Amino acid sequence: MTALRLLFRTHRWTITSWTVLLIGLAGGTVSAYQTTYPSPEQRRAATELAQRDTAATLLYGTLDDPGTPAQTFAWEIGAIVTILVAIMAVLLTISLTRAAEDNGTIELLRSAGTGPRTPLRTALAALTLVAATLALGCGLTVGLQSGREDGITGSGAAAFGGVVGLTFLLVAALTLVLAQVAPTTTDARLLGFATLGLAFAIRAVADTRHLDGLNWLSPLALRTDVRPFAHERWWALAAGLLVTLVLTALAATLAERREYGAGLLRRRDRHDDRLDVHSGVGLAARLSRRSVVTWTVAVAAIGTLFSAMGSGVVQQSRQGDVGGFLGSQIGAGDPVAGYFAYSGTVDGLAVCTFAVLCVLQVQSDETAGRVDQVLATGRRRWEPLAAQLAVAVGGSGVVLLVTGLLSAAVAPTVISGSDVAARAFGYTLGQWPAAVVMAGWTALLIGRWPRLSWLAWAPLLVGGTLALLGDLLGVPDRIENLGIFHHVPDFARSGADVRGLVALLVLAAGAGLLAVAGSLRRDVVAR
Amino acid sequence: MQDNLAVEVEHLVKRFGSFAAVDGLDLTVRTGEVHGFLGPNGAGKSTTIRVLLGLYRATAGRVRVLGLDPARQAAEITRRISYVPGEVNLWPNLTGQQVLDALGGLRGHRDLDAERRLVAEFALDPSKLVRTYSKGNRQKVILVAAFAARTELLVLDEPTSGLDPLMEELFRRCVREATAAGRTVLLSSHILAEAEALCESLTIIKDGRLVESGRLAEMRHLAASDVSARLSDGLRSAVVERLRSLGFSHPDPADDEIRLSVPRDQVPAVLGLLAEARAQDITCTPARLEDLFLRHYEVAAR
Repeated sequence: MTALRLLFRTHRWTITSWTVLLIGLAGGTVSAYQTTYPSPEQRRAATELAQRDTAATLLYGTLDDPGTPAQTFAWEIGAIVTILVAIMAVLLTISLTRAAEDNGTIELLRSAGTGPRTPLRTALAALTLVAATLALGCGLTVGLQSGREDGITGSGAAAFGGVVGLTFLLVAALTLVLAQVAPTTTDARLLGFATLGLAFAIRAVADTRHLDGLNWLSPLALRTDVRPFAHERWWALAAGLLVTLVLTALAATLAERREYGAGLLRRRDRHDDRLDVHSGVGLAARLSRRSVVTWTVAVAAIGTLFSAMGSGVVQQSRQGDVGGFLGSQIGAGDPVAGYFAYSGTVDGLAVCTFAVLCVLQVQSDETAGRVDQVLATGRRRWEPLAAQLAVAVGGSGVVLLVTGLLSAAVAPTVISGSDVAARAFGYTLGQWPAAVVMAGWTALLIGRWPRLSWLAWAPLLVGGTLALLGDLLGVPDRIENLGIFHHVPDFARSGADVRGLVALLVLAAGAGLLAVAGSLRRDVVAR
Repeated sequence: MQDNLAVEVEHLVKRFGSFAAVDGLDLTVRTGEVHGFLGPNGAGKSTTIRVLLGLYRATAGRVRVLGLDPARQAAEITRRISYVPGEVNLWPNLTGQQVLDALGGLRGHRDLDAERRLVAEFALDPSKLVRTYSKGNRQKVILVAAFAARTELLVLDEPTSGLDPLMEELFRRCVREATAAGRTVLLSSHILAEAEALCESLTIIKDGRLVESGRLAEMRHLAASDVSARLSDGLRSAVVERLRSLGFSHPDPADDEIRLSVPRDQVPAVLGLLAEARAQDITCTPARLEDLFLRHYEVAAR
């Protein structure tokens, strides 16, 4: 019990912010679906189109008949929430298990007279509690709106909450198994995300090819299996729970067979490669190499997938029939431009996450004393931060360049229209200033107010919410334009307005300079 | 600034909020010597060292390292310094060799032969990833980098806390070689035997303040020796009386063994008195560094 309290105390901020974000996202968007389509005829037409559209089906699964606001909500927001909840499950599970072994907290716990199984049990108890909170929170916030929104029922809301909570627990249990196998913490996390990618792909194939049986293999398809506000197959939840229990038991068994701090798979822990670096940038680039490659592969895969799946949406949009979340994303202008602006925003969200994480690395280097080591070789005080900032900016460019080129190569083969390749490329690379501004902002916090570095995520969260949900929630344009993702013009048209992007770059440069100046004026943080 | 001083600190103050980690400290390290920097946990040793390296800015006081001010010329100073922290954290995904490459590359000059020799002497496997290293092995990597670098001043902050006795012996040899080559060493340590074996002069601090500083030989001179002896029953009270007249007030007349802490200049008189009284099992132990050290610590504990 003490161990559990300790664990919640350590991770309270992460757990709280994820939980609030997810419950807020689920509870706050329900009403938006009521107002999207004023008349039943329009709703009917939109539902049919959404059901036929491959891209929408690939992203969210199949939309149930008759397409009530509740069903459209469970379809679109349900898909987004389950993906986010799965990401949270991977991150939290790894930080409660392998990461806690690496930093020695579990060693301390085990040496304090607790049994060898206590850490795993404590982590499981914590994950279960979080799952229950998510289920209860989502179920209640949605369920409380029954009667006001069409199709929202108590049992449907309960099923929805159950799906969210169980998706979390299922992915957590799966990650727990992977955490016993993977050689290192980083590998475990990567393996977790790769599994999520696979789960998404399986669900996408199952839904687009109508292979319903396949959906039973993907934890991200639990929502499709249960179908809240439609069939509400409760036994699917029971089946999911059973699989979770089996996975947990498997993880517990595997845990007995591995060494502390290591996985069942051996890691390659020796090689004779030399290192040829002569500057802070060289070192930062070498140390960030693996993460840049990983992010490039992931973002390029997702971005290209989005580009390739745009044909249906673009077609539909030409007929003026896309509503809801996707419709709000594409807007009323040129459908091709609208679609790529949307897929570019998704690329932008991903690459900004990379930029923030990359710059934050210099802070963990500082608290660990590695910055001391660099400075003690005669380097300038500002160099470690400036070098990491440069690598984040350059790395973001690489990620977007590869994604843009790949999208530009693939998109014209599946989407008809003018300037498809140019737009696929332009809207992707156009997010680079957003990533640069995020990197600069993060560096500014670390340089001047290192204790506030968690605020680095704020513009990303706000900007992401505005970009993805702003229209759906009826946020005015002038507020929406304060977000960082809304400034990419249509480069295919002459006289494209790049003032927004220039403003972002100027802001980023200012932040970077202030960051470097700030780091000169403060002490190097020691443990 | 005198040329023969590697480190010169006057009235250094370093505050964190209202807490003064270092409070008016003086520290002088002469070029070419091994200077011990001793004090209990939290005395401010590491804080002082971080000011010397320019990692912390001094709140007040005058600091010169190799003749330069670390607040303004940190990089110029650290280029000529090797630093070994007490707790070594390195890049977990690099091998030991790659860490040496990185540190050498960043410094801009390195002595590859010395590096190879030290890697072999410290029995370090440089092709293993840092994350598989124990604390001692991580420390070896940094010690190799520090001793192999062509630097004038070595700043060692409790450098042997993870080393086994064999490696400690090697460490002492490396320090002696470094001074033989004209380098200066500032050694912060807990291990008194280490400081006693290596250091020519000492600075002892407590609660961020200077307690005692000077050459080890002179400090020993000031300290008291332990004298003990066994007295036969008949003579005991007479001896105790005469000791009282010398200023030793507390020997218990009922005990057949007496123990005294005798200032160095009174040792001959006390020993003569005991010999005259035909005392048995007379021992006289000269002051060890530990006694110097503990004397200050005991005051702190009260």
